Amino acid sequence: MQALEKTQASETIDTRRLTGWSPKVLLRDAGIGLALLLLIVFFSLGTEHFLTPNNISNILTQITINLILAVGMTFVILIGGIDLSVGSMLAFCAVVGGTVLTIPDLPVFQAVALATLAAVGTGVVCGFLNGWISAFWGLPSFIVTLGMLNIARGAALQVTDARTIYSFPPSFNAFGSQMIFGIPVVFLIALVLVAIAWFVLSKTVFGRLLYGIGNNEEAVRLAGHSLMFYKVAAFTIAGALVGIAAMVYMARLNIASPIIGIGFELNAIAAVIIGGTSLNGGRGTVIGTLLGACITGVLANGLILFGLSDFMRQMITGVVIILAVIIDKYRERLTGV
Amino acid sequence: MINVETVRADAAGVLTPPVLELHDVKKAFGGTKALNGVSLSVQPGEVHGLIGENGAGKSTLIKVLCGIVRPDEGAINLSGRAYAPTTPREAKANGLQVVHQEFNLLPYLSVAENIFIEHLPRNAFGVVKRQEMNVGARAALDAIGLSDIDVRWPVERLGIAHRQLVEVARALMTQSRILILDEPTATLTSRETERLFTIVNDLRSRGVSIIFVSHHLDEVFRICDRVTVLRNGETVFSRPIAETNQDELVRAMVGRKLQQQMASEMVSLARPEEALSLVQFRHPQSPHAEGISLQLHKGEILGIAGLVGSGRTELLRAIAAAELPLSGALRLEGAPVSFRSPREAINAGIGFVTEDRKEEGLILNMPIAANVTLASLSDVSRAGILDSKAEIEVTQRLGAELKLKYGGPAKNAATLSGGNQQKVVLAKWLARNPKVLLLDEPTRGVDVGAKAEIYALIRQFAERGLALLIVSSELPELMTLSDRIIVMSQHRVVGELSRPEFSEERILQYAYQGEQQQARH
Ligand SMILES: Nc1ncnc2c1ncn2[C@@H]1O[C@H](COP(=O)(O)OP(=O)(O)OP(=O)(O)O)[C@@H](O)[C@H]1O
Ligand SMILES: [Mg+2]
Repeated sequence: MQALEKTQASETIDTRRLTGWSPKVLLRDAGIGLALLLLIVFFSLGTEHFLTPNNISNILTQITINLILAVGMTFVILIGGIDLSVGSMLAFCAVVGGTVLTIPDLPVFQAVALATLAAVGTGVVCGFLNGWISAFWGLPSFIVTLGMLNIARGAALQVTDARTIYSFPPSFNAFGSQMIFGIPVVFLIALVLVAIAWFVLSKTVFGRLLYGIGNNEEAVRLAGHSLMFYKVAAFTIAGALVGIAAMVYMARLNIASPIIGIGFELNAIAAVIIGGTSLNGGRGTVIGTLLGACITGVLANGLILFGLSDFMRQMITGVVIILAVIIDKYRERLTGV
Repeated sequence: MINVETVRADAAGVLTPPVLELHDVKKAFGGTKALNGVSLSVQPGEVHGLIGENGAGKSTLIKVLCGIVRPDEGAINLSGRAYAPTTPREAKANGLQVVHQEFNLLPYLSVAENIFIEHLPRNAFGVVKRQEMNVGARAALDAIGLSDIDVRWPVERLGIAHRQLVEVARALMTQSRILILDEPTATLTSRETERLFTIVNDLRSRGVSIIFVSHHLDEVFRICDRVTVLRNGETVFSRPIAETNQDELVRAMVGRKLQQQMASEMVSLARPEEALSLVQFRHPQSPHAEGISLQLHKGEILGIAGLVGSGRTELLRAIAAAELPLSGALRLEGAPVSFRSPREAINAGIGFVTEDRKEEGLILNMPIAANVTLASLSDVSRAGILDSKAEIEVTQRLGAELKLKYGGPAKNAATLSGGNQQKVVLAKWLARNPKVLLLDEPTRGVDVGAKAEIYALIRQFAERGLALLIVSSELPELMTLSDRIIVMSQHRVVGELSRPEFSEERILQYAYQGEQQQARH
């Protein structure tokens, strides 16, 4: 009784907390943000060049592709799945998009539009297959996407005959390195994608059910929702984002090669995990993923400025991933989330 | 380990030192004072009843005793020594065994593995001795009279009552000084409850103390030596059972006198129109081909009685299309339908309150409001976008109707007490307004006061034309609510009773008869 009365009084605050912004989630994201901030402070004090406008836009550009892939990965991991095929899919999408982009005599605008359609379409098809095969046959997505990792890579090599595609329209490339107030346009695109994903995950029925499936599939099924639809949708979204990432890749680097993107899936997973999303599914936010991607990007860049070798950087990134999971574990125990 | 002989010598009635003593124990979760001054003392060889409304703090107290939750204040003495366990392991080492309210079995491991999980028999190479383990588990289950399951089955395959018994068997594997049972009978039918009581009596005579939580006062009077009542986290009453009575306990629990439960002269609300009919409808696990045939009218409340394993839950799961493939015919409001998924069944107007709230009813780590609206998301959203305000309104409305005790709609369902979790599962389906509502143990773990409210609510829904199919192990519940009761045994309907014919004896007679017939075949 008393509890009830109390509830009514606090209704106004509650409305916002319902949709993914509980104080605990906020606290978790704030914690990750704090870690990012500390990292930035550390590198700015430790190196001369870190906080220069040039370097910042450099970092943002480097983060972009991983961030887009990680946003898609967040959807998949939230339902308790994993997608190991995004690196290969990136290559496949890129070569398909690149082939369209280099069709002779096509006006630039049309070429880019068609190429985007082709790249995203390729990603959608691959992602759909990932989701459908694993949901229909009840297979772990780990296995299915491991298969797709090989299929997409093979397909990319087959389509191009293992050749690299280049000489895209110059204006397409100019777009890839365009800046607005020193911020790369491609990064802004990624931010828009983050915003959309945040909205979908926290404000829509669709997002609610993805969290639900990650937490308790059976309860969601028995409440009358099609698991198949949501699972396939999550993987398909991830695939579509791979297609977008492929376009960004081509715009920036001016090539599309069947051997790009090797290991990108691991970077994307790392960003998601560092961002506080649980590998068991059902817990995490895309804002966390954004912060996670920034942390990996800042770390990589800062360590280069420190003059550390590639090998050392790789080791440190590994340590950070493990640390992030350990910290998360403790946080869970302390706050009882 | 405990010296049984000396304890028994002490139990002669002379003043013996208590084995467990709590003094003014307090614990708050954020703003919620779960325990606000609990004191009690348990004698050796005593069955100590612990009762109180949903959310009174019973389970929290037990979690304190077994080292899962650390108290903020207060003192606990175990056999005269200060006791402050920090891990469940430590509690076990001190001779406390607990059967928790919410289940803790590992669903994909076998029954035997679950029973032996703490001390798997191993050979010199560390390989589990399967044979020995299975034999031991078999013996443990036979000891509590659970003979109809195979110890090699994964726990996943078991119904909720069997799971409960497996948990009891596991707790009995180790000798303990204090055995704590948190609502062990909530899922059991009378047969299993009897067996459990035999075991409890046996343990008591061996000097083991038992703390027994239940919402069934009759059970408390049958088995307990002493009873303690918690209200809002405080001890408000603790007395030998002989010095009190039901009315007094209820008053102590709810802090007022409860209105008389609904009178039994209720008229049937059944209308002539048919809501649901089954013809030779068969669940995939049914052992025979005949299936089940029955008819349910609008506004009718049909109770389904039967022993554990008689196919009651399976029947409901089949109607809700939770398990496939099915055979036989199903008609909804006269029209033949065949559902290929729970989604289709639910969209056609069927609601299904499942028996296991933790596994299939609730999303524990999501807000209460999200759980309440899970089956009616289209009502609280527009164009796929959620309307949090509407969600909160629904939650508060149903929360008030069901007397839900909760911290707020945005709190996770995991923060609720067991009985309150059950109310959320009910709310989820009431929010949807189905045509036919299937209820599997709808008031499991719900306290007396709230039960009466839920009964009234169910009647209200029937009045509006909702047809209800209720499975319950509590015969009084079925007899209060139902217009008609069918008794199941071995996946068959073996008896049917109309309201004037209701009696516990007749229901049980049918239930056991069916079983004996089966045995003779
Ligand atoms: N982890 C938690 N976080 C927040 N509140 C909690 C938590 N655990 C319990 N509570 C609150 O503490 C109170 C007591 O809960 P408890 O589970 O002990 O009740 P109970 O007496 O066992 O009830 P029931 O008969 O329904 O099982 C409830 O109001 C509950 O909401
Ligand atoms: Mg409880």
